[in-house]
Amino acid sequence: MKNSKLSFTFFVGPILLSFVVVVIIPILMGIYFSFTNWNGINNNADWIGLRNYINVFTRDKEFLNAFKFTAKFAFVSVITINAMGFGLALLVTKGLKISNFLRSIFFMPNLIGGLILGFIWQFIFTRAFHSLGVRWGISFLQGWLATTSTGFWGLVILMSWQMAGYMMVIYIAAIENIPKSMYEAAEIDGANKLQTLRHITVPLVAPAFTVGIFLTLSNSFKLYDQNLSLTRGNPYNSTQMIAMNIYNTAFTFNNFGLAQAKAVIFLISVAAITLTQIYYSKKKEVEM
Amino acid sequence: MRLKRKLVLGIAMMLVLSTLLLAACSSNQQEAGSREEVEEQVQVDVFQFKVEIVKELEEAARAYEDENPNVKINIQTVGGGDDYGAALRAIFQSGNEPTIFNIGGPQDVEDWMSKLEDLSDQPWVDLALDGMLSGATVDGKVYALPFNIEGYGLVYNKGIFEEAGIDGSKIVDFASLEEAAKTLDAKIKAGELKDQYPLLEAVFEYAARETWLTGLHTSNAFLGQEFDSSIDSYDAKTIEFKYADQLKQLIDLQANYSSNANSKRNLNTVDYTTQVEEGIAIERVAIIQQGNWIYGGVQGVDPEVADNLDILPIPVIGAKENSIPVGVPMHWSINKGAGDTEKEAAKDFLNWLYTSDTGKDFIVNKFYFIPPLKGFDNFEPQDSLGRAVKRYAEAGNTIPWVFMGYPTGWGMEILGSNIQKYYDGSFTWEEVISHAKTQWEDMR
Repeated sequence: MKNSKLSFTFFVGPILLSFVVVVIIPILMGIYFSFTNWNGINNNADWIGLRNYINVFTRDKEFLNAFKFTAKFAFVSVITINAMGFGLALLVTKGLKISNFLRSIFFMPNLIGGLILGFIWQFIFTRAFHSLGVRWGISFLQGWLATTSTGFWGLVILMSWQMAGYMMVIYIAAIENIPKSMYEAAEIDGANKLQTLRHITVPLVAPAFTVGIFLTLSNSFKLYDQNLSLTRGNPYNSTQMIAMNIYNTAFTFNNFGLAQAKAVIFLISVAAITLTQIYYSKKKEVEM
Repeated sequence: MRLKRKLVLGIAMMLVLSTLLLAACSSNQQEAGSREEVEEQVQVDVFQFKVEIVKELEEAARAYEDENPNVKINIQTVGGGDDYGAALRAIFQSGNEPTIFNIGGPQDVEDWMSKLEDLSDQPWVDLALDGMLSGATVDGKVYALPFNIEGYGLVYNKGIFEEAGIDGSKIVDFASLEEAAKTLDAKIKAGELKDQYPLLEAVFEYAARETWLTGLHTSNAFLGQEFDSSIDSYDAKTIEFKYADQLKQLIDLQANYSSNANSKRNLNTVDYTTQVEEGIAIERVAIIQQGNWIYGGVQGVDPEVADNLDILPIPVIGAKENSIPVGVPMHWSINKGAGDTEKEAAKDFLNWLYTSDTGKDFIVNKFYFIPPLKGFDNFEPQDSLGRAVKRYAEAGNTIPWVFMGYPTGWGMEILGSNIQKYYDGSFTWEEVISHAKTQWEDMR
C-alpha cells in the first residue's frame, strides 16, 4: 500500500499537471469566454451573461441546422462504418491466402490525411461521376455535391471508405480472440454459418463494438477536415457540420464569445451522447 | 518515516526532472538569442494572401536578401479559396505574430487597429495615386501600403469573338452583351466553331461555389452604384438594393449561357479552377466574370490565350453601363507589436519593393500588378488584362470597390449563400434580396 501511494504520486503527478495545464484550464477559460463578447483580437472582453447561449437557440438558425445535419450524419455513418468494418474483418479472418494483403489494402485509406482525401473525393464526385453520368446518360451521377443530399451522402461515402479499415483492425483483434473450440462445438452441434455468426461471433465481439461505435460516433461528431475539403458547407452552408459552424462563427464573423458558447453546448451534447452509448453497449457485452 | 523519506525523494525527483525540462527549453532560447546578436540577423515574417504571386514574391524576397544579407524574409501564404482573415486571426492567436500582414478595407482597419503601425512617414505615401490611400487612412494617418490596383469585369477571349463575328469593343451596355451571348451560344450549339475551338462548350462559366465571386464581386458592381466608397458602405445602416433586378439579370445571364444551363444547381460546384484554368484558359468557355489577377494562371496554361484576353464592362441598366469595378484589394501593413529592428526591416523591404528599380520590375513584370503609386512610367503593364483595367481607369469608367465595407461575413456567407439557394431553386429572387437586406441591418 505504502509503495503504491508513492508510485501513484510519482507517475500520475506529472501527467495530471500537464492535463490540468493543457485541458482543464483551457476548458475553464473557454467557459469564461462564452459569457463575454470577445472578438478574438483585443484582450478586453465584456461580460454579457447568458446572452450568447440565448442567441444560439433563438437567433442562430444555422447552428441548429448544423447540429441536425451532424446528428443525421453521425447516425448513418456509425452504421455504415461499423457494418463495413465488421464485414471486412469477417472477410480477412476467413483464412484466405491473400488475407494479409487485403488487410493492408483496406487499412490504407486511413493513412491518408483527411484534407487530401476530401479533395480526392471531391474530384471523383464532381468530375469522374459527372463524366460517367454524361457518357452513360445517367442523371443520378451528375451534379454530385451540388445538393444537400448528395453532399450528405458524399460525406458518408468518404468517411465510410476511410474509417472502415480502422474499425476492421479492431474487429479482427476481437474475432481472433474467440477460442476455436467454440466454433468446433457449434459445428458438432450442427449450427450453420449464419447461426454461428449470430450466436457466437457477434456476442463475443460485443466489447469491440462498444469501442468501435464510440470511436466512430465521437469522430463523426467532431468531423472538420473532410467536411472542409469535400463540401466546405456548400451548397449555401447546408452541409456545414457543427465544428465548421463554430469555426466560422469565430473566425469569419469574429464572434468568439458566441462560438465559445456553441463549443460548450457541443462538448456537453457529445459527452452526453457518447456516455449514453457506452452505458447501453456495455450492458450488451457478455463475459466469457 | 520511511514513507516520508520516499515521498520527499519522489517529489525531489519530480522537481529535478521538471527543472531539467525547463532548463532545456530556456537554454535553447538563450542560444538562439545570442546568435542573433552576433550576426544581427533580422527575421521578417510575411503572412500574405495572394496565392498567384507566391513564387515571384519568394524570388523578390531572395533578391532583397542578396542586397541585405542580415535580413531573412519568411513568406507564408494563405489565400485563394481559403479565408485569409480566419487564418490571420488564427496565426495571431497562436502567438506567432507575423511582422508584415495584409488588411483589406475599413472593417479590417478597425478590427486590427491595435496592431497597425503608423506608416505616414514612409516615402511611398507621397507617391500614391489619388484616392488610393483612402481605404487605410484614419484621422490623417496612413496605416497601410496598397498592394496594387485591380479591376474585374467580364473577361473574354478575343479570338473566339472574332471567329463568331462579334466585335467586343461594341459591347457597351446590357442589350449588346445579351445579344452577343445569344449569337455566340447559337453558333456553339450549331457546331460552327468546332474546328477552331474543339473544347468550346458554352459562353459563360460562373463559379458560384466561390461565394466571394458572387457575394462580393458580382454584387459590388451593383452596390457600387449605390455607395460612393467603401467608407460609405461601411457607415451604411441599411441598404436599398436599388439595382436588385439588374443583378438578377446578370446572375441569370451567366447561368443561362453556361454549360450548366439545364441544371443550374450544378453551378454551385463550379470553383475558381474550373472557371479559370479549366475554363477560359483551355478555351472551353468564352467569357468569365473575373479580374486581371487571373492573367498569371491563364498564362501558365496557355500563353497565347492569355495574351488574347480583354475585359467587357459589367453593365447595369439605369446606371453606369460601360464600367468595371476598380479598387485596391488589399494592403500591406506592419505589426505594431513586432520588435523595432524587425519593423525597420519590414518597412525597408516594402519600400524597396515599391520604389527601387528591381522592386518595380517585380511589381509590374513578375507580379503583373498595376501599381498604385506614381513613378512607374517606364513600367507599363505587360499583360493584356492589366492594360484593359488601365484603359478603363484612365477613361474614368470605373465603379468603386465597396464590398470592403460590407458587414463582416455578409457578402460571402449571406448574399453568396443566397445566390446559391437561388440557383438551387430553394430561394426566389425576392427572398434572396429581402433576406440579404434584413441581414445587413441585423449585422450593423
